[in-house]
Amino acid sequence: MAKSAVPSDMTALRDETMLRHVRQLGSARDGLSEWRLQRLTAIALIPLSLYFVASVLWLATSDRITAAAWLASPVTALLVMLFVLAGLAHALVGLRSVFLDYVHTRARLVAAGLFVRAAAVLLAGASVLAILKLFLGH
Amino acid sequence: MERPLSPFMFPTWYRFQITSALSILHRLTGIGLAVGSILLAWWLISVAVGGELFETTHRFLVSPIGIVLLFLWSVAFFYHLCNGIRHLAWDAGYGFEIRTAARSGYAVIVMTALLTLLAWLYVFFA
Repeated sequence: MAKSAVPSDMTALRDETMLRHVRQLGSARDGLSEWRLQRLTAIALIPLSLYFVASVLWLATSDRITAAAWLASPVTALLVMLFVLAGLAHALVGLRSVFLDYVHTRARLVAAGLFVRAAAVLLAGASVLAILKLFLGH
Repeated sequence: MERPLSPFMFPTWYRFQITSALSILHRLTGIGLAVGSILLAWWLISVAVGGELFETTHRFLVSPIGIVLLFLWSVAFFYHLCNGIRHLAWDAGYGFEIRTAARSGYAVIVMTALLTLLAWLYVFFA
């Protein structure tokens, strides 16, 4: 008599080849770490963004000296840098999840991902450079 | 019949619900804020460079177009902040009852309006 198969032995996920195929798709590969990054940056952004917005409101009627002087102080420089970096990381994960829902071609998905990553790196680099310049006083 | 794909089922296939409407708005404001980060980086650079560049940037920001952009940015920011806190509460396991989810949705709208109003009152009258 042939050995009777348990139903779970016949499901696709028991097959290593199928698991590999699943892992190649976005959310199944690094979904959890992205999920966690999105939540952690969200929590960090609550105080960071409120601090930034409150400061900008305070600066709203100021001239260059005040804004520049504000960004030159160490605490401000650090907090604004963290705000920009956490914000861009948060935006990257969010935009990626939008792309995963609306972009259905593999090539376009990769292209869109590369584009926003490049944009985020550029914006992060430029912002950090600007803050460092004011902080270091050049 | 064309079979609808899930992101495009609203509003033809779903009736209006505060929860799904706010969910879509969370994404839209998120995209808006991501685009707005270009302006943020630009502003930081203009402050660092100073002089002519800062003057031009400042003139743009206080022009009618700049004020409208900043107003939209502030609405998007306060909405995404309030609704994001609502999302974090869901992640922690709170507020899943349909009535609670609807109520917290209305609370988000009220808070967004209130915070935006207070911020702009401060700018113009403080």
